[in-house]
Amino acid sequence: MEEIGYFDYNGVRFRSEPARDDCFTVVRRDLDLHEYDAASDIGKRESVHRHMSNEITSLDIAADCLADFPDTPWELRLELARQCWDESRHVAALNRRLQQMGGRKGEFPISTFEWSVTCAIDNLAGRLASQNRTFEAGAMDVVGDHIRQWREYGDNETADVLEAILADEIQHVRFANRWIKRLAAEDRRVLLRIVAAVSYLSSANQALAPTAEERNAVGVPLDGFASRVPAVNIHDRQLAEFSDEEIHEILKQAGFRTLVSDTAAEQQPR
Amino acid sequence: MPLTVADRARRIANFRYIEVRLMEIAAGWTPTTPEMEVKVMFGRHIWDLAQHADWLGKRTFELRQGEHYTLPPSEGYVELLNDVAALRPTAGRLRALYDVVLAGLDQWYAAYMVQTDGLLDEPSVVISERIRGDIARMRRDADGVRGSLQMAAADLGDLPRRHERVSQLIEAR
Repeated sequence: MEEIGYFDYNGVRFRSEPARDDCFTVVRRDLDLHEYDAASDIGKRESVHRHMSNEITSLDIAADCLADFPDTPWELRLELARQCWDESRHVAALNRRLQQMGGRKGEFPISTFEWSVTCAIDNLAGRLASQNRTFEAGAMDVVGDHIRQWREYGDNETADVLEAILADEIQHVRFANRWIKRLAAEDRRVLLRIVAAVSYLSSANQALAPTAEERNAVGVPLDGFASRVPAVNIHDRQLAEFSDEEIHEILKQAGFRTLVSDTAAEQQPR
Repeated sequence: MPLTVADRARRIANFRYIEVRLMEIAAGWTPTTPEMEVKVMFGRHIWDLAQHADWLGKRTFELRQGEHYTLPPSEGYVELLNDVAALRPTAGRLRALYDVVLAGLDQWYAAYMVQTDGLLDEPSVVISERIRGDIARMRRDADGVRGSLQMAAADLGDLPRRHERVSQLIEAR
């Protein structure tokens, strides 16, 4: 089987990019992506194009997990195989929508960051923690925000596509949550692999994160990740079987410390 | 000579081996295949192949073997599939998977349906019929993608002839 190598960036080891059509320009940093005013026509097309590209990457990752870990329990392999189909339908649906909007694949630069991070991890539990439990769970928050935004723009077609995608993503996060718990219950060393994967993910994010002063390729300021954290999609995270404690922690990480503190304060005995 | 229950279990386990291996091959090719339309097709077919393996694996349990009992059909066939997995250009991958291996597998399912007892082994026959329907659709999908991408026919060297020889040896057992 053809191998995909690795590259180093700012002292962190990443997996090299998966194959893409020649029409795509693949970049490694947010700085090199095009991001426009979200309400403009070009901004809307870029948003759909970026989502489509992320779904291609999710397909690559799920497929790679199936191929790389043949000794995985069959029921988990079935989940990954089903995820491959779901992600491929998401790509096709977003490509259809992009074309309806007058766009085309390859119209904007893309990044395969999630692949470069997740597929650098050498064990399946770690990859599930990175891709399904972190990136896809984060995407549930982002997509929840985007659905509301598309409806505000009056674009119900795009919102409907995202609604359908979000329903599938919940299952991808849920099966990862279930299997991580099951694998960890069978072998406590799995927990160490997950801690290592999450720590690696943090280093990878820092290595590629833009600084407060930087602007992207079309001149829009990238004022750090902090201002880009979406609202936490609590209901769907509950459906995906995150515990209340985990959701509380995610709310804190998302910058809602005050909200969490206020809530916690209200629950204090008087 | 009619197939015994043990014969049927072995044959179903052979089919399962091939379906799992093809699922792994399509999955392994997905990140290294550039064409988006081909990746999308592989995504669908990975799930098809996984479902086939799942149905067959449940059937082996009904035939007095373990659930998901899996047996390679022959050493030669395993080597051939390894060579298929190592193919690189997309056109060659598509021709090997859809025109050679899946076409041959379809013939094996057809032969099995003739050889087994259609009443006593009807659950296996029903599974084989469903899989053959899927294989026909998968091959049509591949033709559609090749047509839309105007993909030239690929030369696979002696792989189709090797597939034929290995298949004949397995059928003669």
